[in-house]
Amino acid sequence: MASRKKTLLKVIILGDSSVGKTSLMNQYVNRKFSNQYKATIGADFLTKELTVDDRTVTMQIWDTAGQERFQSLGVAFYRGADCCVLVFDVTAPNTFKSLDSWRDEFLIQASPREPENFPFVLLGNKVDLEPRAISAKRAQQWCQSKNNIPYFETSAKEGLNVEQAFLAIAKNALAQQNSTVDLYNEFPDQIKLTNTQKTSNNGDSCAC
Amino acid sequence: MPTTPPQISPVEEQEKYLHDALGIVKAQAFQMKRSLDKNKLMDALKNASAMLAELRTSLLSPKSYYELYMSISDELRHLELYLVDEFQKGTKVPDLYELVQYAGNIVPRLYLLITVGLVYIKTNNSLRRDLLKDLVEMCRGVQHPLRGLFLRNYLLQCTRNVLPDSPDNEVECPEGTVKDSIDFVLMNFAEMNKLWVRMQHQGHSRDRRNREKEREELRILVGTNLVRLSQLESVTLDKYQKSVLPGILEQVVSCRDAIAQEYLMECIIQVFPDEFHIQTLNPFLKSCAELEAGVNVKNIVICLMERLAAFSQRSDTVGGEGASILKEVQLFEIFSNQVSSIIANRQYLPPEDMIALQVALVNLALKCYPDKIEYIDNVMLSSVEIFQRLGMEHLESHSSVAKELLKLLKIPLDNYNNLLVVLQLKHYAGLMQHLDYFGRKSLSIYILNNALENETIIPTAEEAEQALTLLGTLVADDKNDHPVADVDLEELTEEQCLLARFIHQMKAAGPDDHFLILTAARKTLSTGGSLRIKYTLPPLVFQAYQLAYKYKDLKDEKWEKKCTKIFQFCHQTITALVKAELAELPLRLFLQGALAIDQIGFENHETVAYEFMSQAFSLYEDEISDSKAQLAAITLIVGTLEQISCFSEENSDPLRSQCALAASKLLKKPDQCRGVATCSHLFWSGKSLTNKGEETHDGKRVVECLKKGIRTAKQCMDVYVQVQLFVELLNHYIYFFEKGNDQVDVDVLNQLIKKIKSELANLESSDEAEQISKHFSNTAVHLKLRMESPDGDRDAYKGLLLNPDLEDEKAETKKLEAK
Repeated sequence: MASRKKTLLKVIILGDSSVGKTSLMNQYVNRKFSNQYKATIGADFLTKELTVDDRTVTMQIWDTAGQERFQSLGVAFYRGADCCVLVFDVTAPNTFKSLDSWRDEFLIQASPREPENFPFVLLGNKVDLEPRAISAKRAQQWCQSKNNIPYFETSAKEGLNVEQAFLAIAKNALAQQNSTVDLYNEFPDQIKLTNTQKTSNNGDSCAC
Repeated sequence: MPTTPPQISPVEEQEKYLHDALGIVKAQAFQMKRSLDKNKLMDALKNASAMLAELRTSLLSPKSYYELYMSISDELRHLELYLVDEFQKGTKVPDLYELVQYAGNIVPRLYLLITVGLVYIKTNNSLRRDLLKDLVEMCRGVQHPLRGLFLRNYLLQCTRNVLPDSPDNEVECPEGTVKDSIDFVLMNFAEMNKLWVRMQHQGHSRDRRNREKEREELRILVGTNLVRLSQLESVTLDKYQKSVLPGILEQVVSCRDAIAQEYLMECIIQVFPDEFHIQTLNPFLKSCAELEAGVNVKNIVICLMERLAAFSQRSDTVGGEGASILKEVQLFEIFSNQVSSIIANRQYLPPEDMIALQVALVNLALKCYPDKIEYIDNVMLSSVEIFQRLGMEHLESHSSVAKELLKLLKIPLDNYNNLLVVLQLKHYAGLMQHLDYFGRKSLSIYILNNALENETIIPTAEEAEQALTLLGTLVADDKNDHPVADVDLEELTEEQCLLARFIHQMKAAGPDDHFLILTAARKTLSTGGSLRIKYTLPPLVFQAYQLAYKYKDLKDEKWEKKCTKIFQFCHQTITALVKAELAELPLRLFLQGALAIDQIGFENHETVAYEFMSQAFSLYEDEISDSKAQLAAITLIVGTLEQISCFSEENSDPLRSQCALAASKLLKKPDQCRGVATCSHLFWSGKSLTNKGEETHDGKRVVECLKKGIRTAKQCMDVYVQVQLFVELLNHYIYFFEKGNDQVDVDVLNQLIKKIKSELANLESSDEAEQISKHFSNTAVHLKLRMESPDGDRDAYKGLLLNPDLEDEKAETKKLEAK
């Protein structure tokens, strides 16, 4: 795995409906934004190739439905994620209040090996809109209380901070993968009991 | 591949099967990645094929299968990355697409084919169109519903980034255009939907429930096709109207499966933008009418209306395109027409759903066209027509249709917060009549509270009548419709108090109009029966009195005649209360009226005032029998008479004497004593025409009253009461002494003080005694202050003994009596 040059990262975006999850992803991957509202049903991903610290990384970004009723098959796609991005709308207080339950739900369903160290990134989206309901300070406090989650204020509409946020997401995901890669590697090199090479060598030296 | 339907095992078994399968996937994936690292592609493909073979299982439930599928497709991504890399490096693996087709089983073969096909497309655009067509066709090879659905979902997921999305042009183009994408997805959609619908008809009928649950879980896979279509940027409104939507609707309608239809219609609403929906309302709603009987069409239509209403509000604040489209499209008319045709054509639609649709229509109208009140009225009318056609009347208040109707009727109130606007709705009252008594009553209370909270003023007689008609259940008994027998008095009081408060809000700007309102309101309210009118008529009377004061200030041409008319109105109104066998209330209203008449002083007012006073008197004499009530009544009468100055001697004299007489005839001695003491003031500060409105100051008759009081007090057996009465009488004496009544002198005061002191000494200590003694000592303090006052009065109090020698008390008492 480590020997292959390309690294595949899996990132999940979670948050209430219409906080802008799809828009953030589209802005980052396609540099496009639309005011039209289309609800996401189910889960879908886009991939983006980027370079992090001289490494080429393929980031698979999973966009999810904010309304639970649309996930009729459950959330098996949480499994194997390397980073979870939580999104709220800075003009809608309820979307901020839901963050705890999104985080908990993720940790339960994805069951990462070290839940307390699993990387999350928080995005406060729609900073282009007024009036603002959740201050940066309040969001940062929440992040501090959750083991210092990185926080970015973004505008998917104006492309503000989106690139920076996803770079940080990729770095966190990569750090997560590097730290757990050995743990995942449950199959050490096989010890070949037949030891064909040796027998063949020994075979020659057998004087009997 | 077995064609028997999946046998679903119990939960633990499921977990075990899944665990085993995931174990194999993990092992094979590990081997696959090792092979890739060593550049052994053929080995890697073998591992991948072995891993994919796990998806051939029939043992897993949809959710478990999904989990397995997820972990496998995660692993396939590594294969894909490797292949893309190799292709880009220029490594020729040209026959790979052919090669993977030799995989033994069809499920692994097609997964691999899709994976490889994707790599081909990514590295060579010119193959795109043909490969997509090929892949979507080949997937037909799997007809097992669960496996087929997931296989096609894999196809959808993999092709997301490579679907051609450039606008159509006439030129043949191997990369394909958006048209090819639309064909590709629509075909995949149709095939998936068929697989999904087929599940319903496989297996034993006793498993139907479970099957339907599984279908509900799998629906997201079918819906993803629609998501894909909505993600194509070159799908313009024109394309959506002409090919995308008709293609979807054709499949939805023709599949004739209720679960699929209901889900997919909602899915269309969710995944496509509002801008498209607005322009395609007619075809969409027409299809709604054609759906199977089991489909909840109401939810679909309401979902769309709510979405567009929210969109309209959003565009209003943001501005932009949406707002202008809304102006062009007759959103309300279209919905209104389509809703009525749905109601007309779907025989199985329950009535509560019909009304729920009306509720949604009203909400839509209010949000998109807040000024168009006629839209609301249209909905009210069509609701009335629905009930008429169904022959439904007096809807039982706990039924779901009544609940929907109540909701419908509350919306205009909640939205406008103005009863007057609701009164403009011509069909509102008629629609309300379809509720049963309890439903109407609960709505009436809701209306009242709304009017009270918003302080809605009802400015014309016509509107007052309309409002009271709406509130009919509170205004009078409805003998046709209501079990009159069991009246909850507490509840009635509460309701009538609300109504009474509301009556105070019926007032016109001009006094003449106001009088018309009062007359109209009385006409309706007086039908309410004795239990109600005692709450509802008094506010009318008080409003009428206020109106008379207003005329007095205005003094317009005919103000005196108008006042006469107003008091006639009041007289009649109060008399209605008398007829309802009420006494104390009308007595008070008459007295209040007499005061008003005296102060307003219009032409001939003395006669009218006399009539009011005499009415009060006769009520006192004929109707009030309780002794406490009698004392209270006579005290009020005396108080009123003392205030009135318009009577000539001819009228005032008999009234005053009548009061004194009535007081002395009270049943209980203490009452008599207090009554006559009160009457004493009539002869002092009472006014009459003879004195040109000055106070009478008839000292002699004052003292007569007080003496009678003392005599009566002495007859009381209870010593405590007796002393209390003496203290009260002393206070009356002091009052008149200070007012300069020459019939009251220091001697009289001394005697009374001495009497009280000696009696007080005999009282056993108790709360009562303490209270009396406090009253007396307060009185004494007052006198002492007066005696020491630096003002000129000091001399008048000469000889007053606040601490008299008590021995010759008996003699003093006798003297007092003699006087």
